[in-house]
Formats: sequence, structure tokens, C-alpha cells
Amino acid sequence: MTDAPSCPRCGSPLPPDAPEGSCPRCLLAAGLAPTEPHDEPVAVPGPKELARHFPELEIEAPLGRGGMGVVYRARQTRLDRIVALKILSPRFASDPAFEERFAREARALARLSHPNIVAVHDFGQKGGFFYLLMEFVDGTNLRQALQGGHLTPEQALAIVPKICDALQFAHDRGVVHRDIKPENVLLTKDGEVKIADFGLAKLGGAKPGELTLTAAGQVMGTPHYMAPEQFENPQSVDHRADIYSLGVVFYEMLTGELPLGRFAPPSRKVHVDVRLDDVVLKTLEKEPGLRYQRVDEVKTEVNSVAEDPQMTAAPTTATQGLSVPATGRKLSKLALYGALCFPLSILVFLLPMMLLSLLSPGATGTWREPGVLTIAGMTTSFFSLLPSAIIGLTGVILSLSGWVVIARSGGRLDGLWLAVPGTLLPFMCGGPLLALTLLFLARTGPFVYTLF
Amino acid sequence: MRDGHRGPEHSDSRRGGFATTHWSVVVAAGDRASPDAERALASLCEAYWYPLYAFARRRGADPEEARDLTQSFFATLLEKNYVADADRERGRFRTFLLTAFQHHAAKDRARERAAKRGGAERPLSLDYDVGEQRYLLEPVETATPERIYERRWALTILERVLSAVRRDYAETGRSALFDALSPVLVGASPAPSYRAIGEDLGLSEGAVKVAAHRLRRRYRARLRAEIEETVSTPSEVDDELRHLLQAVSG
Repeated sequence: MTDAPSCPRCGSPLPPDAPEGSCPRCLLAAGLAPTEPHDEPVAVPGPKELARHFPELEIEAPLGRGGMGVVYRARQTRLDRIVALKILSPRFASDPAFEERFAREARALARLSHPNIVAVHDFGQKGGFFYLLMEFVDGTNLRQALQGGHLTPEQALAIVPKICDALQFAHDRGVVHRDIKPENVLLTKDGEVKIADFGLAKLGGAKPGELTLTAAGQVMGTPHYMAPEQFENPQSVDHRADIYSLGVVFYEMLTGELPLGRFAPPSRKVHVDVRLDDVVLKTLEKEPGLRYQRVDEVKTEVNSVAEDPQMTAAPTTATQGLSVPATGRKLSKLALYGALCFPLSILVFLLPMMLLSLLSPGATGTWREPGVLTIAGMTTSFFSLLPSAIIGLTGVILSLSGWVVIARSGGRLDGLWLAVPGTLLPFMCGGPLLALTLLFLARTGPFVYTLF
Repeated sequence: MRDGHRGPEHSDSRRGGFATTHWSVVVAAGDRASPDAERALASLCEAYWYPLYAFARRRGADPEEARDLTQSFFATLLEKNYVADADRERGRFRTFLLTAFQHHAAKDRARERAAKRGGAERPLSLDYDVGEQRYLLEPVETATPERIYERRWALTILERVLSAVRRDYAETGRSALFDALSPVLVGASPAPSYRAIGEDLGLSEGAVKVAAHRLRRRYRARLRAEIEETVSTPSEVDDELRHLLQAVSG
């Protein structure tokens, strides 16, 4: 037993009954990972040595370090812009086939010029190591946003279509990301979404899940985002593996959890549109053929859910700001009860009373005696008023609930369609009552009104 | 009662080791009892009785009740071949065992406690005193009996796998190597210094690196093999691993 209170790798607390004092999470994850993680941080040259090879760059602080290499923040002095310099681990240099593969992949990456993809400016080999010069993204990554716990379902619905855009663009050009996970989804300070490390997983060999080197400097060795077929045959996966990984990220954004084992659909864990369940579950199909076949389809489905204001909160364009809880499901339950109240009150009270009043000779008979209050007459008039009172009250309650929802919806008028009929209800129930009264007037003459 | 082929010394030698048969063998046997299937089931039960005991304890049974319940459950299970129902669900051993146990517990309550509850039958020799001591160490915040069962299940698998790998190394006189390198299984950070380990063990740094790689590979193969024994098809291993990962995640 070690006396470390938490796992040095994944940070989760070590239980006192941990087998051999090792973190059970990491022990199990080791069974999932297709290959073992690298033994030690890679030895890459420091800023001083790099400066010799990159005279055009002012190399600043390291941004991150991982199994594949190190990323430095650097300034391109002539263009006066900040860039990210990724130095790949020297272990690649010992692989003679790597140079050709690297050039091929880097050219493919450089062609991916898209607002939602981190741009590759340059690549090459200097001083015995390979490097990539990339766009510098100022912001956080999705992992940090998730850990901060600030992500609302609306924001998730705003981020996912942008990931889809980036992936579709790359897929159309034959590039599969292979390592989509929150660490690779960067969120800029302007609320933009940028996907990093396209195709690098392939470059590093059959080791997705452990290559990520992010702006945050996190090195994750998690296999959770990998499609099932990636475990079995990592070298021959197609773009549908990205769709699976996107599904895992989506699920995590909505629920804060990973879809492990027999997982519940998102709407059972959090207040989100139930239609999202189908979208998420279809991306997470084990069989690639059962998933969406194009990322575009995911985007279309997500957008159609996000744009339908009846079922879910209004979509936000920015990825930051609003913190309104989703009220979709609560609202529909309330509306259901309200909708049930109306026909029920009519059925239970109004119809029998109308029939009773019209068909019972005893009841109508008493109305023929103007100014005489009989027990039967009073009962009849009481029960004639009761339904309208009940319906009126229902209407008042419904409209109040509606207005409360409106007040809480942060200016989005969520409860409007509940408030309006609720307010109209008392007036509407006055209609049948008026008709009833007129009927009596027609049958019994004008004296009847003295009873009221 | 079918304990003819299992003495306590036999089960001891097997505990922490590997049964040679699989849950899939049991499932495949269906309702037609075969000696292989019986042996497989018995060895699975011997390996995984503790999660059930912890489950019963967490459900409110006192140590004696939990012991009786577990014992009578295994007696019935091995005798009456509940497993005939299992292939209907095509389930995993983990879920099958819990479902059958709950079923048994409900019936047991209905029969009233007066019944003999398996009487003197002792089809498996299980060390309940050790079990109870372990149970008292269970974290109290682990909420439901089901959760504690699943968590225990995952830890039991890991313990079995680790002790099996350790034994593999001990058999070839490399216990020291295993002890020195076992931190790499969880990707310890900072990474252990291979040079220092090499100096301790009289090996070159490169040799230690290779040994670490082999240890990880062997561990991983053992873990997957162990899990494969509790599911009905090998394709379920990854999914079961993910499920267990969630069970141990707080």
C-alpha cells in the first residue's frame, strides 16, 4: 500500500482498499488501452537549443508536453504574430519511414483551412526532429470548460455543430481525426470552436488516445473516446470513428459523465430535449454501419432540436454567457396538467348540470315561479355557477404558472403559450354559461333573472 | 451437493489464480448439466462470492445472516442449476449472479427463517471471517447495495489479476522485478527511474525498459482474459471494462 491519497495519474482519490495500492481506475483503463502509454516524458530540446534552429522565431513558454512531443508558444518576429510550435518526439526520427509519412500527413493538414480547425502554417525537420508550426489558439479547451462545470445544454448544442463543420470539412478531404476528445476541442476567447491535432493520431502510429498535447499541457491517456473498431483495428478506421468519438464528447457535455457500460440516455440524467437522446445514441452505436454515416447528419439533427423553441431553450450563438436552466420538460408537464383540467371540468360539472337543468321538469318548473326561492331552484343555480367558478379558477392558476415561467425564462418568453390560454380560459368558460342563461331566458321568460 | 471434486486445498490453490473454464461454458451448457460447466460455475463462484456477501451486508443482513444467505445461495445455485435461465438473458456472470442472488434472497425470506437453509451443506469453502473483516473496511459512503456489489466486483477482478501476474513472476523467481515495476501498470508519474531500478536489480536501463513493457503487456492480457471469463462472448470485454471503470469511479 502506498500512502498517496490520490492517483498521481488520473487524480481520483485512491480508496483504502485499492488493489496493491494502485488506482483501480487506471488499472482497468490499462485493459482498455490498445497499447501502453509511453514510459517517460519525451526528451526534446529546450528553448535555447531550439532558438538556434529557428532564427525567425522567438520561442517563449512551453504550452504543453506529452507522449508525442512538446508545444511551445512562439512569436514569428517578421509577421509579428503568435504561433504554436510543436516539436515531435525524437523517437520518431529513428523511424526511416516516418519522414515520408510525416510529410504526407502534414501536407494534408496544411490543406485543412477552415475556421473551426487549428491551421498548420509550416512543417519540416530541423536539427534531427520534426516540427509543426501551427495557429496559436488563445483560450481554453473543452476539458477545462467541463471541469469548470459551466457548460449548459444550450452551449453544448452550440458547440457540437461547429465540431461537425470541422469534421465534415476534413472528412470531405479524406482526413480522419482519430482522436476527438475534449482536450482537442479548443474554445477561443471569442467563443469560437477550433479542433486541434487533426490526423496526428495516425501519424504517431496506432496509438490514439495518448498522443494529445494540448494548449493546457494536459496529457491524457484515456481510451474512453475511441470507437470500438479503433481497439480492434486501429489502422483501418474510417471517418465514422470520429462520429463515435463526437458522440462520447456530446454525451459528456450534456451529462458530465462518460457513456460507460449500460449508460442512461442524456434526458434521463439532465433536463435536455428527449430528441437529443436519439441523436447521441445513434452516434454511439457500436457498429459503424448503424451510426450516422456523415457528420453533417449529426449537425442537422442537433440544429433542428436547437432551433425548435417549444421543446428546448433557445439556442445561443455564443459559447459563453447564458446560464439559464433548461425548462423544456417541466413546462410540458405543467401544460399537460393544465390541458387536462379544462376538458375534465367541462365533463365533470358543466355537461351534467346543463342536461339536468334542461331535462328535469322539477328543476325547470321552479324557475317558472318568479321571485320564489325553492330549495331545488337554489341548488340548480348553485350548480350552474360552480363549473364556471372551477374553470375560471383553473384558468387563473394556469395563467399565473405561465407568467411565473415567463418571468424565470430570462427574457425568452418560454411560458407564453401557457399564459395566454390560461388567461383566456375564464372568458371562454363564460361562453357556455351565457348560452345556458339565454336558454333559460328563452324558456322561462324574463323573470328568471331575479333569481340571480 | 456436488463437491466431490473440490477440496478446500484445491480451492485455495485456485483462489487468486485462473480457472480454466469460462462463464460462456456455463451458459453454453444450458439446462443440461455437464461436469465442465459445473466446475466452471463453482470456480467462478469461489472467485466472486465476496461481492455478494458485501451486497447482502449492505442490504442490512448481519454477518451471520449474510453468511447463511450466501452459503444457501451457492448450494441452491450449484444444485438446482439456475443457470438454465441465464442463457435466456444472454447476460454476464456479474449481472446473472446478482439477479439470481436477489431472487434467492426474496424466496429465502418468504420461506421464513425456520427452514434449514441448506443445512450442513457446504459446497464451497469460503472464508467468511476474512470476508467480514473486509466488509468492515468498505467505504461507508458507497451508496446502494448494488453499487457496492459492482465496485467490489471490479476490485475483485483486479486483485485476482494482480495476484496472478505476481505469481507468474514469483514462479520464475522475478518477484523483485515485479515489485519494482508494478507502478508502471498504472502509468505512475513521475515515471519510475529505470536506471535506478536497473542498478538495484543489476540490469541495464534498456533491459528494465523492456521488462516494464512486457509486464504491462502481460497484465493487460491477464485482465482481459479474466473479464472474458465472466462474459458470454469475447466481444463484450471492452464494454464490461467500461462498465467496471464506471463502477469504481466515485
